[in-house]
Amino acid sequence: MTRAIASSLLAIAAATPILAQEDLRYSRDVRPILSRNCFQCHGPDAAERKADLRLDRPSEVVRELLVERVTHADPEERMPPRSSGKSLTPAQVDVLKRWVEAGARYERHWSFVPPQRPAVPEVLDANPIDRFVLAKHAVHGLVAAPPADRMTLVRRVYLDLIGLPPTPEEAAEFADDDRPDAYERLVDRLLASKAYGERWARRWLDIARYADTNGYEKDRNRSIWPYRDWVIRAINDDLPFDQFTVEQLAGDMLPDATPDQIVATGFHRNTMLNEEGGIDPLEFRFHSVTDRVATTGAAFLGLTTGCAHCHTHKFDPITHTEYYGLFAFLNNADEPTYFLPDEEWSAKIANRRSRASTALAALHEKWPKDKAPLEERFTAWLGDQRRRSATWSTLVPAEMSSNMPLLTHEGDGVVFVSGDTTKHDTYRLRFDGAATEVASIRIEALPDDRLPSRGPGTTFYEGRKGGFFMMEFALSAGDEDVVVASESYARPGGVFHRSASPARATDGDLQSGWSAGAIGERHVAVFTFTEPVAAGTPFEIELQFGRYYASSLGKFRVSASSSSAAEAIAFDAEIEPLLSRADSELTEEERRRLRNAFLMEAPEVQEHAKKVRDLRKPPGRMSTLVMRERPAHHVRQTHRHHRGEFLQPRERVEPHVPEVLHPWPDELPRNRLGFARWLASPDNPLFARVFVNRQWAAFFGRGIVTTLDDFGAQGATPTHPELLDWLAMEFVERGFRRKTLHRLIVTSATYRQSSIVTAEALARDPDNVWLSRAPRLRLDAEVLRDAALRAAGSLSTKMFGPPVRPPQPDGITEIAFGKPKWRAGKGEDRVRRSIYTFQKRTAPYALFSTFDAPSGEHCVVRRDTSNSALQALSLVNDPQMVEIAQAMGASLASRGGGDRETCVNAFERVLTRLPEIAELTTLLNFVGAQRERFRADAELASRVAGTDDDAIARATWTALARTLFALDEAVARN
Amino acid sequence: MNRFADISRRAFLGNCSLGLSSLAAAQLLGGDPKRPFAPRRPHLPGPHFPAPHFPGKAKAVIHLFMAGAPSQLELFDPKPKLAELEGKPLPPSIIGDQRYAFIQSDAAVLGPRFSFAQHGESGATLGAPLPYLAKVVDKLCIVRSMHTDQFNHVPAQLFFNTGFFQPGRPSIGSWVLYGLGAETEELPAFVVMSTGSGLSGGSALWSSGFMPSHYTGVRFRDGKDPILNVTTPEGFGDALQRDTWTLLERLNRERAEAVGDPEIETRIAACEMAARLQLSAPELMDLRSEGQATLDMYGCDPDKPSFARACLLARRMVERGVRYINIFHEGWDAHTNVEGSTRNNCRKTDQGTAALIADLDQRGVLDETLVIWGGEFGRTPMVETNPALGRKLGRDHHPQAYTMWLAGAGVREGYTHGQTDEFGFHIVENPVHVHDLQATILHQLGFDHERLTFHSGGRDFRLTDVHGRVVRELLA
Repeated sequence: MTRAIASSLLAIAAATPILAQEDLRYSRDVRPILSRNCFQCHGPDAAERKADLRLDRPSEVVRELLVERVTHADPEERMPPRSSGKSLTPAQVDVLKRWVEAGARYERHWSFVPPQRPAVPEVLDANPIDRFVLAKHAVHGLVAAPPADRMTLVRRVYLDLIGLPPTPEEAAEFADDDRPDAYERLVDRLLASKAYGERWARRWLDIARYADTNGYEKDRNRSIWPYRDWVIRAINDDLPFDQFTVEQLAGDMLPDATPDQIVATGFHRNTMLNEEGGIDPLEFRFHSVTDRVATTGAAFLGLTTGCAHCHTHKFDPITHTEYYGLFAFLNNADEPTYFLPDEEWSAKIANRRSRASTALAALHEKWPKDKAPLEERFTAWLGDQRRRSATWSTLVPAEMSSNMPLLTHEGDGVVFVSGDTTKHDTYRLRFDGAATEVASIRIEALPDDRLPSRGPGTTFYEGRKGGFFMMEFALSAGDEDVVVASESYARPGGVFHRSASPARATDGDLQSGWSAGAIGERHVAVFTFTEPVAAGTPFEIELQFGRYYASSLGKFRVSASSSSAAEAIAFDAEIEPLLSRADSELTEEERRRLRNAFLMEAPEVQEHAKKVRDLRKPPGRMSTLVMRERPAHHVRQTHRHHRGEFLQPRERVEPHVPEVLHPWPDELPRNRLGFARWLASPDNPLFARVFVNRQWAAFFGRGIVTTLDDFGAQGATPTHPELLDWLAMEFVERGFRRKTLHRLIVTSATYRQSSIVTAEALARDPDNVWLSRAPRLRLDAEVLRDAALRAAGSLSTKMFGPPVRPPQPDGITEIAFGKPKWRAGKGEDRVRRSIYTFQKRTAPYALFSTFDAPSGEHCVVRRDTSNSALQALSLVNDPQMVEIAQAMGASLASRGGGDRETCVNAFERVLTRLPEIAELTTLLNFVGAQRERFRADAELASRVAGTDDDAIARATWTALARTLFALDEAVARN
Repeated sequence: MNRFADISRRAFLGNCSLGLSSLAAAQLLGGDPKRPFAPRRPHLPGPHFPAPHFPGKAKAVIHLFMAGAPSQLELFDPKPKLAELEGKPLPPSIIGDQRYAFIQSDAAVLGPRFSFAQHGESGATLGAPLPYLAKVVDKLCIVRSMHTDQFNHVPAQLFFNTGFFQPGRPSIGSWVLYGLGAETEELPAFVVMSTGSGLSGGSALWSSGFMPSHYTGVRFRDGKDPILNVTTPEGFGDALQRDTWTLLERLNRERAEAVGDPEIETRIAACEMAARLQLSAPELMDLRSEGQATLDMYGCDPDKPSFARACLLARRMVERGVRYINIFHEGWDAHTNVEGSTRNNCRKTDQGTAALIADLDQRGVLDETLVIWGGEFGRTPMVETNPALGRKLGRDHHPQAYTMWLAGAGVREGYTHGQTDEFGFHIVENPVHVHDLQATILHQLGFDHERLTFHSGGRDFRLTDVHGRVVRELLA
């Protein structure tokens, strides 16, 4: 902004009518009064409505009675009633009077009306943003502040765009650049920086309620960091915000979805997972969908949809049923773990498999010389196995049902289980009669990549992932229960757990059962009956699963045998048929395979066999949490829940959007993808407004609508409504590009104003509503740490990957369940950018929560910026800040040169600008005093800076750096 | 002008030993330690807070939260009928469709593990594991008819502490601070301590939720750094620390003058308070200044973290103007061996709890300090036995009926409220819902729970949602 503009504004200010003479507007002036004081009883919610009177839409009564009732002389008759705790000020009553006199004209609430491109006020040749802002200055008799000096500006725009301060060299480069477009060039450089994505992803992760643990009691670790990395990449790539939205809500449903688009659906997998013993998993799944509806409302609509969870919204026209209409869109997905494509992993697994084969082939060489000869033991084993083996015929169920999970026959008798599981699941499988009589039934529990930890169970919380617990097994033919005489159990390695054998699944006790001994492996149970079921007789098998957590079988196959001597054999299913052949019928290769099967179980070479087994296990791989829409034949039904209670489902509700919002285009499918497209449509009056408002708030400390998450009736009225609409339209027309919007904002003169405030300006506009100066903003917690690391010269530029643990004080995570220890990382992990810090929900990283970072337990669209004693203590005493100060102290000490130069350098690194003479003198005195102190007590110096020769210098400069980091100016952007 | 330097000089030059006597502390506080609630300028952390709706009896609250849920059937609610029925299931009509965390609804009854006796002039009944509490029983108002909506730990703990079963709402302490402000500038006004195992609910239990973050509870920690980062790191020393605060004050003030932002003044004040905390926290934690008789009364080793020590610290905090103190003792979750678990937890907590009541009383501050004791729900009359989990003779979670007690600040002394059926399963008389107790707590602090609201996300929130009534029967 030039002085010429500022002075020309004074002339405009004088010529503009004053505010009080502006016309009364329903949306701006009347509705907030009615909404705050009347709608609770006379609003959209029919259940709460008193006297059958609505004030949120036109009626005769309003014209006739409103003024009379709010001005009634009798306090008992006067509205709002005393019991409501609400009352109207004389000024509010006056507004209502004038409105009724003028005809009580209603308007739709402003935010539901599509933005119209407003005329840009004609104020010289400024950035359009400035014209809107200056027009308001004129109305309010304010004058814009002069432009910020270059050092302030360069620090501001670095911190705002990339979340890091400039180095002294970078700042000087800008200061010395006298090209007319030097600033625009700088902005473009910053927008192209990789650090930009790291800065702006952090803001988005607050909304996405991202964390690296599950939350609630157990709060165990989860792997969803690939989603965090997706956000950083998407922002750096300037993925248009409409697409950014669609991919996060429904990337899995896009045609030919890419791995990135699938990873993006982690947005709504950031809900918490309750793993507390004994919870009802369906109840907490319900709560996580509730959270998704609330988060979607706040993030994309700026509406407090959560308010309609229990009843029709009191203030905004969203009915209880419409809430569950939104709910239904988000309620039809399964929630799997997704393994990222990883060539390295594929190569690794091929390599391991080949090593496993080699080791297996060499297993016989490990046979101990001092034990019975291998062949002798093998022959005995083979005889034993032949006795246990039987001819099994695979049974294909004629019919399957369950209390809830979906059982799907996938061919060859293999049944796969998907959908929701409960703490007590029952599978019923009906079989047409077998060809021979059924003396034994075999159940194979089979591993599968689609199951948690490869199964064979469905356990996904609380218990061992991939485990199962079969409480009861029962077979009935006709009306008769067939009695189980004996049972056996095997799994690779031949280890038996008596306490979890299949016998426990036939004892009639639901607390005991057969469970998976090894995750990701095939398990076999054989049940033999007292009386066989005759050939051709139909029969039914009932399997019951569960513990104090859901623990059902995820993939299995049932086979039958006429042999009543059959026992469980767990080794490779392909080898088992060989047992039915006599020695003479076996080829040498077949005999070798049998011998290898024996070696894998033989105690004599157990140690070596274990190595083979370990090599066969797939190595750990990168995974993340995603959404997967359910198939059309397995839709999850949504109901309206009375009072929002999980246990009170009422009528079924189909997916639909609230009537008050923009209409649903017929061509969209009524599913999550259609919903995402509807939401991110240019026709949505809220979508772009809510986004640009949030961006505005990030740069100016307050939104044009100050209630960033509430554009509804209870929300704030925009201070610059035309500007908001202009920005929203501009954003849409320029392709929903975040970087374009940010460029537009930071190149405005409004943004480039000085933040220095005169007492007079402060008195006129204490909250800087009209932006006649730039705001001073406290840095976000993460920016504050990153800025210190950068000043010290130790910030790592490594991007992406699993979260890291920088140092923090003892006893932070120990407060949480299980008292987990925080083991700080080593080397580079201590100095990574803060966005990569491990986020534990029940015990967040201390420095960050002290500076108002959210815990990730719910969506946060606006962080508080507090200013507390605990912050002051953290800045000077927190081990992390001290470690950074030590790094900077060492760096300063190694510079050589005089105190004066070093002080200036330290000051510039932290604050960008040069110190004033008085400041420099103060710093030099401090440095001198501390050096004397450390010289006098080398012991102290060594505790601060170790025992190297330059310990005194390092300790001295550490003391200075530590103080500089704690300055208000260091934790603020000016 | 150089207000801060003056304070820091007093704080650091005058008392370098950091072992400030309570008299000196009182001078620094500008008050008289014997009259802890002498009117003082309320310290305003935020821009505004509502005024009390009427004069409240309580000036401070000590909330002893027994996390994990103690068994009311062992401690407060004697049910001889359960001994008769031991080994048999309860009638299904009693159980209805209640869901359980671990047991099946046909689980057999488990009789009380301890004997009960009447104590004091009031003749209130207590289980045998509470011999110390028995001595102060006439001070207690026992509520045998508590009930809650939640049957899992975290949701139920959050429900009691924030009025909602999921994270994100302000805790009771935050509401109280928002309503009343702070009386001390030397210590945080809302303090949290914890003993026993790690806490299920985590920091959401003392979060300020959607309120400004300065209403969040401040943890007092075990070890040498009682408040996070209150201790100057090794090697920096008191003198350097003093220079650091002074330098910060000077540069911050010069900056404030240069740019005119009042927020810098707030930062300067925050640094002042930080410097004072560095002094007042160790002084507070130094229990050697208490007489041996007091230490013996609490049964506390001044140097070893324990529940008793937390209770003694709570009393010292109340004297220094701390408004809300939450002590969490985690470990009552007796899914197995309810007898041993109850005995063990009572051994850790009974003496300290009783001493706290007696000590507050003898110092004349019980009248204005509300003490609350209880867990997130109760435990079942039915036994939890599960060989597969290695559990026997335990009790599962029971939200329908449990016991809490209150003391001090105008609650009715020597009174037992409410009654459960002969199985201890359902409440048959005077039910008190969690929201009712929350309403009552706010009432004792001078607030109408329906009018103490905070606007956030499009609506006015209350601690008690749209529920709750003040239980006047509990008040003297």
